[in-house]
Parts: sequence; structure tokens; C-alpha cells
Amino acid sequence: MYIIVVGGGKLGYYLTTTLLKEGHEILILEKDPAKCDAICEELGSVVVRGDGCEARTLAEAGTERADMLIAVTNEDEDNLVACQVAKHKFNVPRTIARINNPKNEALFKKLGIDVTVSSTNLILEHIAEEVPTHPLIHLLTLTGRNLEVVEIKVPPNSAAVGKRVRELALPPQSVITLMVGKWGAVVPTLDTILEPGAQLIAVTRTEAKEALREAITATKGAE
Amino acid sequence: MAKRMEATKFLVPLNGERVDENTLRLACTIARSEKGKVYAIYVIEVKRALPLDAEIEPETEQAEKVLKRAERIGDEMDCEVVTELLQAREVGPAIVDEAVERGIDVIIMGMPYKKPFGEFELGNTVPYVLKHAPCRVLVWRESVDIEEP
Repeated sequence: MYIIVVGGGKLGYYLTTTLLKEGHEILILEKDPAKCDAICEELGSVVVRGDGCEARTLAEAGTERADMLIAVTNEDEDNLVACQVAKHKFNVPRTIARINNPKNEALFKKLGIDVTVSSTNLILEHIAEEVPTHPLIHLLTLTGRNLEVVEIKVPPNSAAVGKRVRELALPPQSVITLMVGKWGAVVPTLDTILEPGAQLIAVTRTEAKEALREAITATKGAE
Repeated sequence: MAKRMEATKFLVPLNGERVDENTLRLACTIARSEKGKVYAIYVIEVKRALPLDAEIEPETEQAEKVLKRAERIGDEMDCEVVTELLQAREVGPAIVDEAVERGIDVIIMGMPYKKPFGEFELGNTVPYVLKHAPCRVLVWRESVDIEEP
């Protein structure tokens, strides 16, 4: 697969190293000559000095025959433009953009970028995982389906404790797929009773995440 | 008795310039005295817009001519010359990779005397090879009177 990586910072460098090991043909587009020299020294002739937002640079880089373009600069604007030019001018089948400001995520999706990765959100999620009281953790986004896989902890004082799954006010298209409790992991049925402290793995629509959290974690008084 | 240089594998990158012939003859002379072998390579630089294994007709034709001529020079000088045509994104790294792969003892590179903007320039390939080659590198610069009219 021929993959173009826009941005030769730390992320671009390590991404390229990984993809090269997998046997792909990789090219990094980087504006900074010092970074270009460093990459060239380390990885060989896999870097071209130039602005990945410019159509001319992308043409010289052979974007027309690229299978994928991944824009990972520190600037959301640059990542957006590089992906858009690649997608609409060079018909690159798959574009992936790094998003630094989570506020831009919706805009990127609206403008047709295939996959967005918000570095800030990823860091937040990893930190949240380490906070023991955090009830809902995002695990995975199912691309193009507006569905997410999340993990929810059932607080001991939750109104859901002792209830059967069928009795929970789950939002539409939300499904509890796994319960990990004191008896180990079970695939819950509608008659499974929620244990206090259990971890639930659920699939839900992005906009229903909060309602799902509420259905599982609301305390008895707040019901 | 003079000490031998302990080199038997010589790599000579060619690119169709006038300096090629003298460089190859020098390499053959040294190789013959060392009972060694000369590897003559021609590297075609492939633009990123094309896949690395793309067939580039005019360049390939030119490269084959240059390599055939190299074989003839080898025959004339009674020296074994192995030729190879390579395609790469950049010439410098391709030469270094080839030297590593073949366990070359000395790279002998020819360069013309050129002053593109009134200043003598080494270009990109020679400095790259000098910096990165793991083996000895000999640069043969053509004399001024040959290049200048």
C-alpha cells in the first residue's frame, strides 16, 4: 500500500516507522528542513520537503496513486486541507486526519474526512480510565455507524443494582453485550440481574451515551 | 614489497556522463591488479508519482547502452565487470545500499568538473555517499580542461 504521511513530527516519525515495518511504501511530507534531514538520516529516502497542503507538492509526491493519506501535523487547518485536497483533487480512497482541538471533530466529519483521530480526546480517555470513580469509558468507535463501544461501572449505590436488564431504561439502540462481575464474564440476557461494582461493556449511539450512563449509574434517590 | 590494499570488490556508479569511461577504466586497472571484480551500476531515479518498479522506457534504454559499454570496457581491459540496472527514489542511498548488499570494498565515483552558477559544486550524490558509505570511497573528478570548452 502507498501511504503519504503529512507532518514529520514525533507522531509522523513513529507512524512511518511502524508502517514501514509492515512493508508499506511510505512518504512523509514535511516543511521543516531540519526535520527532513533527521528523518532521512534515520529512515532513508522516505521524506520530501514540502507543504502537504499544496496541490503541487501532493502531485509531486504521487498522491494520485496513493491508497491513503494521513495528516498528523500540529495544525488542524493543515490536516484538514491536506486531506481535502487529497480526497477531492487526487481521489485518494482513504484520508485520516489528526485533530488537536476536539471542537473541530464535527467539522472534519462534515467535510468528508474518512477518519478523524482526536489526540486530546484519546489522552482524556486514557486519563479517565485511570480515575476509579469515572463511570463511563469510551473504548471504540465503530467507523461510519455512529456507534461506540463503552465500558460502564455499576456503582454500588446505583438504582440499577438488583434490577434485570429488561427493567433498565436503556436508550434506543443501546445494548449491553458483556457483564464482568464477581462470577466472571457473562453475556447478559434480558433476565440477568445487575451486580454492584460490575463492569458492563455496551454498544450505544454516540448521542445516547449520556442517557445510557444515566440509566446505569443514577443513584436511588436521583431516580 | 608494497602492502596490498586488500580490496577485491569495486563499485562504480555510472550515469552516462563523459567521466564514466575514465572512472571505469581506473576501477578496472585497480581491480585487475588486485585480482578483483568491478560492479558497474546505473541507477534510474523514479519520480514519486510512479511506482518504483515502473518501466521508464527512454531512461532504461539509455541505462542499458551505458552498461553494455561498461561490459565492453571490461572486456577490453581484461577485467570482470558485472553490470546492474537499479531503480530507486534517490541515487545516493541506492549506491550505499548496493555497496552494503554486495559487501563492496571501494566505491569509485566519477564526477565532472561543473560550475553551474559560477561556483564549483559537488551535487547531492557524492556528499551523500561520502557521508554514508560503510566502505572506502574514491572520487575521481574530471580535469578542468576536459569539461570546459
